[in-house]
Amino acid sequence: MSEQMSGVLPRGVTQKKFNAAVEKFRALLGEGNVLLKAEQLIPYNKIMMSVENAAHAPSAVLTATTVEQVQGIVKICNQYRIPIWTISTGRNFGYGTAAPVQRGQVILDLKKMNRIIKIDPEMCYALVEPGVTFQQLYDYIEENKLPLMLSFSAPSAIAGPLGNTMDRGVGYTPYGEHFMMQCGMEVVLANGDVYRTGMGGVKGSNTWQIFKWGYGPTLDGMFTQANYGITTKMGFWLMPRPPVFKPFEVIFENEADIVEIVDILRPLRMAQIIPNSVVIANILWEAGSAHLRRRDYTTEPGHTPDPILEKMQKDSGMGAWNLYAALYGTQEQVDVNWKIITDAFRKHGKGRIVTQEEAGHKQPFKYRAELMSGVPNLQEFGLYNWRGGGGSMWFAPVSEARGSECEKQALLAKRILHKYGLDYVAEFIVAPRDMHHVIDVLYDRTSEEETKRADACFNELLDEFEKEGYAVYRVNTRFQERVARSYGPVKRDVEHAIKRALDPNNILAPGRSGIDLDTYRTRRSAKSTASDES
Amino acid sequence: MSVDRRFVLKSMVLGGAAGVVLSRSVPVLAGVPPSHSGIRPALALVGSGAAEAAFLQGARAAAGTELPVQQMDRGLDCMLDFEHQLRAGRPMQVIGLLDDAAATLVLDLARSAGARVHWLGQHTAEAGSTRHRLLNADLAEGCARQLSRHLHACGAGFTLNEERQGSVAPARQLAGPARSGAGSVQWAAGIGSLLATLGTRPTMMPRVSVQGTLLSGSFVSFSIEV
Repeated sequence: MSEQMSGVLPRGVTQKKFNAAVEKFRALLGEGNVLLKAEQLIPYNKIMMSVENAAHAPSAVLTATTVEQVQGIVKICNQYRIPIWTISTGRNFGYGTAAPVQRGQVILDLKKMNRIIKIDPEMCYALVEPGVTFQQLYDYIEENKLPLMLSFSAPSAIAGPLGNTMDRGVGYTPYGEHFMMQCGMEVVLANGDVYRTGMGGVKGSNTWQIFKWGYGPTLDGMFTQANYGITTKMGFWLMPRPPVFKPFEVIFENEADIVEIVDILRPLRMAQIIPNSVVIANILWEAGSAHLRRRDYTTEPGHTPDPILEKMQKDSGMGAWNLYAALYGTQEQVDVNWKIITDAFRKHGKGRIVTQEEAGHKQPFKYRAELMSGVPNLQEFGLYNWRGGGGSMWFAPVSEARGSECEKQALLAKRILHKYGLDYVAEFIVAPRDMHHVIDVLYDRTSEEETKRADACFNELLDEFEKEGYAVYRVNTRFQERVARSYGPVKRDVEHAIKRALDPNNILAPGRSGIDLDTYRTRRSAKSTASDES
Repeated sequence: MSVDRRFVLKSMVLGGAAGVVLSRSVPVLAGVPPSHSGIRPALALVGSGAAEAAFLQGARAAAGTELPVQQMDRGLDCMLDFEHQLRAGRPMQVIGLLDDAAATLVLDLARSAGARVHWLGQHTAEAGSTRHRLLNADLAEGCARQLSRHLHACGAGFTLNEERQGSVAPARQLAGPARSGAGSVQWAAGIGSLLATLGTRPTMMPRVSVQGTLLSGSFVSFSIEV
C-alpha cells in the first residue's frame, strides 16, 4: 500500500486511516479518480470566501461516474469516518464555489455524471445527472429544435440545474423559482440505499417527472440545502417556448423610487400580468454587468460616493434602479398585458420604459433579455472587475414584496457596507410576494486588510438584519453555521435529529447549513451542562 | 452554431494576436537572452491591457518567441472554445494573466476539465506598489522568493503572500519598500517569465520598458496543465 502523506486530513482521521480509505477509493474508482496532489487540489480551493485558503482546503477529491460508485464511496466513508463534500458543477460563486465547509473534507465531484437522461418535449420535463450544465441542455434543445425554454441563474452556461435547484437558486423566467419546478429526485443515502422521491418508488411508473407529491410525506425539500443524501438524478419542468417574447426595462432616476416601483409591481406579479422573476438592479449592479470599472471613475478608497453614482447615471443612461421583466405568450396575450403594464407605469409618471427595439444590443439590456428567454451568457461576471481584486460574497436576505420594506433593507445594507468602505451592489429578484434582495459584497482579495473588512461587514449585515427580523435564504459556505443560528434552536434540533437518523456517522457534508453532529452535539451538551450548574 | 464550428472559427492560434496586444503599450526588453531549457507552455491566455502585454513579453523572453497566444474576453463563445481545447485530450500547459472575471471563468473550466494548477496568483498594482497573493504547488517551489527578489531589484514596493497547497506551514509573507516608482511596472513581466519556465532552473527575469504606462489594476495569473 502506497503511503499518502497529506498536509490536510479530515477532522479526527489519522494519516493511517486516511491512507487506508484512499486505497479503497482507488480500488473502487480507479487511480485517476482519486486526486491527492497539490496541483490537483488547487482548483478546488475557495475563491469567494473572506478567509485564508487553508480554512477550507480539501484533503482529496473523488470523481464518480455511476450511482453504484457513489454507493461504494459512502460505504468506505462510513467505514473510515471520512466526511465528504459533494459538488455537481461547483459554480455557485458568491455562495462559495467548490471548496468544502470544513478543512479536510473530501470533495466528491460529480462532474462526470453528466448525462441528460431524458427530455420529454411533449410533457415538457427533463431528467438529468448532477454534472449536466445549462449549456449542455441548451445545445441539446437547440440541436434537436425542441420548443422548450430553460430557466437559469446568471452564471447560466457553466452552472447546472441540479446544483442550482438543490441550493434553491432562482432564474429569471416564469419558471424562475427552480425548486418549485423540480419534480422527482434520486438520492443516495448515507447507508447506501437509493431513494427516489415522489412517484419514483413505484415500479414501472411513468409519472416520476409529472407528479411531485407521490404518497405520504413529501421529502424532496428535505434534501435541498442539506446533508441528508447525495442527489444523483433530478427531474424538472421545462417551459414551452412561447410564440412571442417581449422583454422590457423600466429605468428610474432616483434611489427613493424603489418604494413605488415595488408597490406598482406587486399586483402585476400576483395577477401574473408579469409572469417572470423580475429583476430590479441598482446602478452599481448595472455598471458591473456592463463591464464598467470603479477605477475609471475614482481611485479613492472606500465606497463610491453618491455624486459619482449620479455622474455614472448621467454618462451611461442607467437608472438608480433598473427593472427588467418580460411578457410571454401569444401576440394577443402579450398585447393585452403590455397595455396594462404601460398604463400602470405611465400613471406613476416616473419610470422610463425601454423596449428591445429601442435597446438594440446595448448592455446590460441584452444579457438580461437573454436570461429572461433562456439564452445563456456570462455577461454578469463583469461584476468581479467592478471594484478590482475579484472577491465576492452574496448576501441575500428575503424581503416582503412591499416597497417600504425594500427601502428599509436597502438603506440598512447601504449604511453597513459604507461603514466598511464597500459598495452597495444590489438587485431584487421579485416573486409575487417575496423578494430575494441579493447584494454582492465585492472586495479586493489581494488586500488582507480589505478581506478582513469584508468579513466583518458580512457578519454585521447578518447581525443587523437579524435584529430587524430578516434572514438570508442562502449563504456563502463560510457563514452557514452563523446563518443556521438565525432560524432558531428548535429547527436545528429537528435537523440534527434527522441527521442522526439518516447519517449517524456524520459523513455527508458535516457543517452544511450548520448541520454537524460533532459540533452541534458538543455545543448542546456544553449548554445543558452550564444550565444544570446554574 | 455548434461548439465545434465555433472552435474552428475562433481557436486559430493567434500568432499575430500578440502583435495586436503588444501594439498598445510597446514594451521593450532590456536584453535578456531567451532560455530554451524549460518545458514550454503551449499557450498563453491574456487580456488586452498593458499588464498583459508586459506579462507576454516576460513569458516570451523566458520561453522563446514561439509562444502561441490567445486573447481572452469574458464572452461565452471564447470561454466555450477554451473549454473545448481543454477537453480535446491533448496534453497542454497554459499560462496566463487575466482580469478577475475572465480568470474566474478560466480556472473554473480548468477544474471541470481535470486540469492541474501549479500556480494561482492574485495581483493588484496601484501607484508605486503591488500586492500579490499566491497559492502554489510543488512545481512552483522557490518562485515566490524569485519574484520577490525581482521586484526588490526593480525597486518596486510590494507585499507578497504565498500559501502552499496542503501545507501546514503558515503563509509566507514577503515585502519590499518602494525605491523607484518606475519599478512597479516590472511585476507582470516577472510573472510571465516565471510561469513560462515553471519547473525548470531559475532564469534571469526580464525587465521591460513600458513607456508612460502604469500597469495598474487587478489580475490573476495561472499555470494550468491538462
